[in-house]
Amino acid sequence: MEGVILASSSCDTEKEIICAPENVLELFKFEEAWFSIGPFDWTRTVFLMFLATGIAMLLLYLGLRGRRIVPTKFGVAIESLVAFVKDDIAKGIIGPQGVRYTPYLLAVFMLVLVGNLFEVTPLINFPITSSMALPLIISVLTWIIFVWVGFAKNGISYLTGIIWPRSVPLALRPLVGLIELVSTFVLRPITLAVRLFANMVAGHLMLTLLLASGIIFIGEFNLRSIIGVPWFVFGLGIFVFEIVVAVLQAYIITLLSAVYVQTSVNPDH
Amino acid sequence: MLHTFASNLILAAEGKEEGGEQLLFPETSELIAGVIAFAIIFFFVWRWVLPTLKTTLENRQAAIRSDLEDAETAKTEAEGMREDYRSQLAAARDEANQIVEESRQAGETVKADIIARAEEEADNIKTRAQDELAGERERATAAIRREVVGLSLDVAERVMGDSLDRTAQEALVERYIDELGESED
Amino acid sequence: MTPEAAELLKGAIALVGYGLAAVGPGIGIGIVVGNAIQAMARQPEAAGMARTTMFLGIAFTEALALIGFVLFFIA
Repeated sequence: MEGVILASSSCDTEKEIICAPENVLELFKFEEAWFSIGPFDWTRTVFLMFLATGIAMLLLYLGLRGRRIVPTKFGVAIESLVAFVKDDIAKGIIGPQGVRYTPYLLAVFMLVLVGNLFEVTPLINFPITSSMALPLIISVLTWIIFVWVGFAKNGISYLTGIIWPRSVPLALRPLVGLIELVSTFVLRPITLAVRLFANMVAGHLMLTLLLASGIIFIGEFNLRSIIGVPWFVFGLGIFVFEIVVAVLQAYIITLLSAVYVQTSVNPDH
Repeated sequence: MLHTFASNLILAAEGKEEGGEQLLFPETSELIAGVIAFAIIFFFVWRWVLPTLKTTLENRQAAIRSDLEDAETAKTEAEGMREDYRSQLAAARDEANQIVEESRQAGETVKADIIARAEEEADNIKTRAQDELAGERERATAAIRREVVGLSLDVAERVMGDSLDRTAQEALVERYIDELGESED
Repeated sequence: MTPEAAELLKGAIALVGYGLAAVGPGIGIGIVVGNAIQAMARQPEAAGMARTTMFLGIAFTEALALIGFVLFFIA
């Protein structure tokens, strides 16, 4: 609903063929604060972040409460979700000592999953991960963890192993070392954050523009309403696709966090 | 161009420019909220979710194991009972067979008994009948003999007159007939 | 050139730049995924490892497209 309002704010259905807002920021930044504590503004995005946290925690609580011997169907689903993160991602990628990182990975997965699925949740329609804050926090935390683990497990040889890779011919070592250095310490966190952010921005933009334009054009009830029909149908197709993207991106950011930690735990592999 | 880019950057840093690059810089309040939200869910997962899942799975493992053990004992018990029932059944069948066999033998004995008694009776009856018959014949023979003696004496008297001593004659004829009967036999 | 026209032109050039930045990673991701599928088909028992490596390769390749995406917003 929010998207419809924003996209329609200055749409001239006589001239435009799709209702885009004047500035794309209107779709992603909610400036007006419900209330403020000092510099902290309680905006809609902030509210949705806490809502996502609450929903993620509620799902886990409802699925696991009571320590049931015979689980309910919902409990089985939540248990297999947790077991998937624990066994397939943490243990499967990092190895036997990966269980230590399960809490972090599970927290990332649940928060990002619920946040992403807000994109296709009716009445919310806004993925909190399409605001840079959450992806940035997660990628910075992942960066801190894998750098910390790398130095804690391998000492200074972690850094020298990256700068002076022994598996590469001697002539190429400075070049590869430089690329690896930039790639590991700069590009990894940036791409980790931007991948999630960009996918969610693109999905939210497409959904907002297509569905809102479709609704507005069809609502005009004139000859140009015909334009709205393919927009709306296409938007519904994208809607289904975005559900897949939301789950996949939550999986990928968790998987890549695990992979980055794994490269620090066993730098040789 | 470079000038506009630089001025854009400066404006962006001041947060006044309403350009697309604003999208890449998170709001301070969102950062704070994100850190708090992530901390909450992280501690929840760390302190509650994973320990709970662990104990749940351990409890389930224990429950399943004890259930399996119970099932195993129950199965062994049931097998023992089945063996018992089977042997009891076999014993009962043997007994039944034995009873049938015994009763058949008893029946045979009774039958043979009855037949023997019936035959005996039949024999008795026959013997008695034969005896009676023999007695009858004896009496008939004696009667005929007496008649023949009387008749032959009468015939002889008539032929020879009344001179003959009736008693001596009678004894004579009797003896003759006896001899005759003996030679006949 | 008026400032409005310059602004429009800048947006158009940024769009073209992002389009160009997306070409290489597009081809690269295609190659990565194609080879990963071949590897999985040849050795299904190693599918898990191939999938992880595939995602890692996609992540590295995609980085260029993501940088293009960021620059599209900044420019």
